Amino acid sequence: MNELVETIGRCVERGKINKASPFPGDMKGLDGADELTHQALEAGTDAEAILQACIAAMVRIGEKFGRNEVFVPEMLMAAKAMKAVTEHLKPFFQSGSVQAKGTFIIGTVAGDLHDIGKNLVSMFVEGNGWNVVDLGVDVKPEKFIDAIRKQPKCVVGLSALLTTTIVSMSKTVQEIRALFPSINIVVGGAPLTMEIAKEMGANGYARDPQGAVRWLAAIREAS
Amino acid sequence: MERLLPQSEREEGVFEVTIDAADVTISKEVLYRALGYSDNRIDPHFKDIVDHVLAGIHDLCAVRAGYRVLDAHVKADRGEGLVVGRTFITTGCTIAGQLKNAEKAALFLCTIGPGMEAWSRRLFREGDPVRGHFVDTAASLAAEKAAAVLHDHIGLVMAGGGLKVTNRFSPGYCGWPVADQRRLFSFFPENFCGISLTESALMVPVKSVSGMIGIGAHAMRENYSCERCSRKECTASRAYKNSAPT
Repeated sequence: MNELVETIGRCVERGKINKASPFPGDMKGLDGADELTHQALEAGTDAEAILQACIAAMVRIGEKFGRNEVFVPEMLMAAKAMKAVTEHLKPFFQSGSVQAKGTFIIGTVAGDLHDIGKNLVSMFVEGNGWNVVDLGVDVKPEKFIDAIRKQPKCVVGLSALLTTTIVSMSKTVQEIRALFPSINIVVGGAPLTMEIAKEMGANGYARDPQGAVRWLAAIREAS
Repeated sequence: MERLLPQSEREEGVFEVTIDAADVTISKEVLYRALGYSDNRIDPHFKDIVDHVLAGIHDLCAVRAGYRVLDAHVKADRGEGLVVGRTFITTGCTIAGQLKNAEKAALFLCTIGPGMEAWSRRLFREGDPVRGHFVDTAASLAAEKAAAVLHDHIGLVMAGGGLKVTNRFSPGYCGWPVADQRRLFSFFPENFCGISLTESALMVPVKSVSGMIGIGAHAMRENYSCERCSRKECTASRAYKNSAPT
C-alpha cells in the first residue's frame, strides 16, 4: 500500500477531516483526509485502494470504541473524515469502478422520535462502504416498504429507544416480512436484546454501530 | 445547594415550581464524564465544543416543573407496585421495595423545553454531528439536573411537615414500564408544564423527566442501585455517578 493511502487511512482513523480542522490536537495544521485524497487521486492512485484503506481504518476505530479506548465523538469525527474521502470517490462510484457494499435502509420506527443512535449507525455504516438511505424518525412501515421496493436487494435497519415502541418495531418487521420474506433486517436500540430481536422475526441485533457493521459484514460474507 | 423554590398551585394539590435555567447548569467535568472522558483525556477541540455548548444552555433551557402529592401504600398482596390515591401503579418489585415505607408519593414532571433538542437536531442536519451529540448529552444531563432540583425542593417541602423522601424513580427504569407513563400523566392537568405524551408514551419535549418520589416518616434516600436496573447505560446512571461524592 502506498504511503499516501496509508496516511489517508490514518486520517480517517484519527478523525482528521481536513487541514482547517483543529482535531485531533496533535495533527493540527496538517493536511487531512480531504486534501490527501485529492492529492492521491491526482497522482493516479487507485480509488478502490483508497476506499479499502479507509474501510480498514473505520474497522480499527470501531474496535477501539468496542474496547472503550475512544468514545462516540471520535467515532463521529472518523465518520466525518470518511465522508470527506467518499466525496472525492463519488465519481468512481458513479462510473462503477468503485462499488458500494450494498444499500442499507435505516430509520427509527413509528412512534419513536429518538435519532442519535440511528444517526451514529447510519454514519458508521456509510463509512464502511455501504450506500445508506436514512428515512429519519417516526417512520411508518409503509415508508420502509416503499424504500425497499426501490432497492429490493437492500438490508434494513430498524431503531427504537422506548420499550413501548418495540411493538411498533415488531409490526414493522412483520409487515416488511410479509412482502419481502427473504430480506435481511437488523434491529437495535436500548430496550432490545438478541432474544427480543429473534422473537420479532429480525435476522440480527446490533447493540452499537460497530455491531451493525460486523453484522452487515457477516451477512455479506454469507451471501 | 438545596433550597426551597417558589411554587404556585395550578389546581387543587398540583404545584408548579419555578426553576431557573441557572439552576440546571452543569459543570464541564460532569459533561466530560458523561461523554466518556476523564478530565485530562479530552482533546482541546472537544473542550472548546463543551465550552460552546454549556454557554448555550442558559439561553435554550426553559425549565418547567411540577408535582402532586397523594396518599400511597404498597399493598402486601400486590408487591409489584403501589396504590397512589386510588390508582394502582405497576412500578415493578424493585421500586415497590424501595417505597415500602412510603405513606405518600409525589408524582412529578419536569422539562427543559424543546430548545436544546432543536439545537441538537439542527446541528446533525447541518453536518455537525459531534456538536449535535454534545448538545444532546448536555440536554439530557440538564433535564436530570432539573429533576434533581425538583426532588430537593419536594424534600424540603416535606421536611417542613416532619416527613422524609426516598429516591426518585421514573417509568422505563428499574422495571417500571414506560407504558405506565400514561397513568402517571393522568394525575395532572392536560399539557401540564408544557409536556404531552405521544401515542407510544414518549414525552414531548423529549428532554423531560417524569416519576415518583416516596414520602414518609421513615422514608430514606439511598445510593442509587444501578446494578438492579436492566438498563446498563443511561444518562440517569451517569448523572448519579457524576453527582456522587468522590
